[in-house]
Amino acid sequence: MPDSTTQASDEEQAPAKQADTPPEFKRPPLDMRWANAPTERPPLPKDLGPEGFTLRKADVGSYGWAPDHWPYQNDTPRGAWPAPEDKRGLLAPYTIYDKHEVWAENAADLYELAIRERWAPATEITWGSIEPLAEHTEAALDQIYTSISEQQYNSNQVLMGWLGKISYGYHEVKLYLSTQVFDQARHVEAFRKRALSNGGGLGVQMPGFMHRTVYGAFKFTEFIFYTNILRASFLLGICEASDKLARSQADRELFEHTANDLRRHSAYGVDHLKYYLRAASVNRNRVNTWVARGEAMMAADLQRDTALREALILALGDTIEEGKAALKELRAAQLQKYLLTLEAASIYNHGEALVPAFQEAIESP
Amino acid sequence: MVKSDTLEMLRKEPGAEDMDFSWLDDPAAERGMRVVPSKRGLTLEDISVGTYGDPPEETRNQSGRMRGSAPRPDAQNIGAHWIIKSESWSESAMMLYEEALQRQWSSATDIPWEEMPELDEDLELAMSQLCTFLTQVEFIAGDLPAKFAPNISAEHFETGLFLATQIMDEARHLDVFRKRALANGIGLLQAGPGAVGLLAAQSFLDMTASLHLVGEGFVQSMFRMGELIAHSEVDKKIFRLAAQDESRHVAFGIMHMKHLLKNEPERREEIHTYLDRMEGQVGSTPNQSGLTGGGDTTEALAILLGGGKSEKQLDEGYTKLMAVRKRQFNEYVHRLDVVGLSDRRERMHPRIRAFLEPKKN
Ligand SMILES: [Fe+2]
Ligand SMILES: [Fe+2]
Repeated sequence: MPDSTTQASDEEQAPAKQADTPPEFKRPPLDMRWANAPTERPPLPKDLGPEGFTLRKADVGSYGWAPDHWPYQNDTPRGAWPAPEDKRGLLAPYTIYDKHEVWAENAADLYELAIRERWAPATEITWGSIEPLAEHTEAALDQIYTSISEQQYNSNQVLMGWLGKISYGYHEVKLYLSTQVFDQARHVEAFRKRALSNGGGLGVQMPGFMHRTVYGAFKFTEFIFYTNILRASFLLGICEASDKLARSQADRELFEHTANDLRRHSAYGVDHLKYYLRAASVNRNRVNTWVARGEAMMAADLQRDTALREALILALGDTIEEGKAALKELRAAQLQKYLLTLEAASIYNHGEALVPAFQEAIESP
Repeated sequence: MVKSDTLEMLRKEPGAEDMDFSWLDDPAAERGMRVVPSKRGLTLEDISVGTYGDPPEETRNQSGRMRGSAPRPDAQNIGAHWIIKSESWSESAMMLYEEALQRQWSSATDIPWEEMPELDEDLELAMSQLCTFLTQVEFIAGDLPAKFAPNISAEHFETGLFLATQIMDEARHLDVFRKRALANGIGLLQAGPGAVGLLAAQSFLDMTASLHLVGEGFVQSMFRMGELIAHSEVDKKIFRLAAQDESRHVAFGIMHMKHLLKNEPERREEIHTYLDRMEGQVGSTPNQSGLTGGGDTTEALAILLGGGKSEKQLDEGYTKLMAVRKRQFNEYVHRLDVVGLSDRRERMHPRIRAFLEPKKN
């Protein structure tokens, strides 16, 4: 890889003259009060094992304890001795200081897992395995890939926007979400690359009702419901239909890697939603509102997205009738995945409470 | 466009009565694309071709439609996306994105934690203090690009993808310096005023000038001198890997500023105001010397650079600290030259100018 440093090519010139003398520097007397900060002395890490020095292993004792409310409105790291009030600098623009708004018990582990499972579309997809396909089959796959790329870009932009609102004390969450940002970026480009690889190109954009809803989320948990629960369940359903959709080794790899990433996103979403629901009984009503809104908007997209519907029919079956039957199965599998995900997040029997338009879109695709 | 006999055949199939097929019949997006991998795999640069390539200077795309795909007349309008390319474009974004993917590393497994030697207590304390500072400020460099990500149009998605890599990198930096402080018996120490002020950037250019060109540039210079600061191979490796990441961030910002200056030359004076602020010419705190300008972190650095806290060691430590500062300022000026702001030498804060090597011709 080329080095990205900023050295210009014209740098090797005549040797520079002696520099001007820097201003007289008087070294300050030794202070070292910082060395007396009464923070916890952690044990030396041992038995690291193949997963290495993970956050879980590093953040022991008070370092691992995230309070229900984070008290410092700047970038004080958890476990450090905070600067005196008058030396804390500007108050930060963070707005989330309560644990239940972002927390998931598995965030620290998912962060490390995501790093272990990272992949690079440029070099880890067998691009050479893609063989020419019938025109309409290629166009159908391209249409599906266009939608995946577009929705992942949308989820990613808005997720990044939320990062800057989460206070510094919940660093596991900020770190985990950074891996999700990185994952989603890969999804955007990987499927775009595939769509441009085999004689096709991108298809038609999505109607965007979900895009708008994702942008419009007022609360972080609301946003996570839309992207990590609802969207992730439906996209995971598509990736897991790889046996029907994929036409090459490259297609299969794309779906497998993406599914693997989405399972982490879903795991964070489930754990967070569960934590949020446990925090106060009123939260259940709030979640219900977001669930209904998400379903209604997803239904609006499904009902209007003719290109995606027809692309799925063409890609899933050898004939249109076969494709239609397979699409019905796919929608049922997506719904099932969504309902099981909600169940894992402690929202039970939701199949009986689906938004009618959403149910209709699933049952008569 | 799919061949007419194929379409004819599809339309005649049983079950096709309710199918529209117009997306096959009259596609508005370019087809016939056959991108192929180059020697670095299938990169963003390889696929930036035809109508999928370089975006126009201005776009009306507010719907999240990915560059090159076919529009829908009824698409929802997000209304938050910047329409001017130079607002956020950086010619290096594609290359840096791919480089970031190839050069990811893991703080858990790529640092030889088990080989960490026991250090003299003063040195270990100083290293923990330095790491407390670094873990405090590192993710500010994630939060700030994150703030602008919702504004990056899907026409300019490469910028959005690059920002995602910077966020991932800064997460790893927050994480690795935290782990380093916790790895050798001391833990985190005294937090300082931090770097929240950087989050006040109000435009992408304000960010690339203050964070990428100045802030991360200074940090990069310091990391590059990590060999002098570190007292173990473990610490040297951390600085080396982090410096590599910072190089990408700095390069992105520089190339953004360069592109912007070319397309919007009238914004030159605006840039100078951001740099005036960062150099300490606005306001009363000349604190932008990048870790070497005073306070707890400076003292910790001096102890590390001198190898201890005896008078002789401190003298040596502060002398080396001046060398770090000199490097920070000279590399800063070099970046200004690359951006096209060589004129800044003349108006630079004297406190910085005094450290500069004479300009090379
Ligand atoms: Fe960094
Ligand atoms: Fe950085």
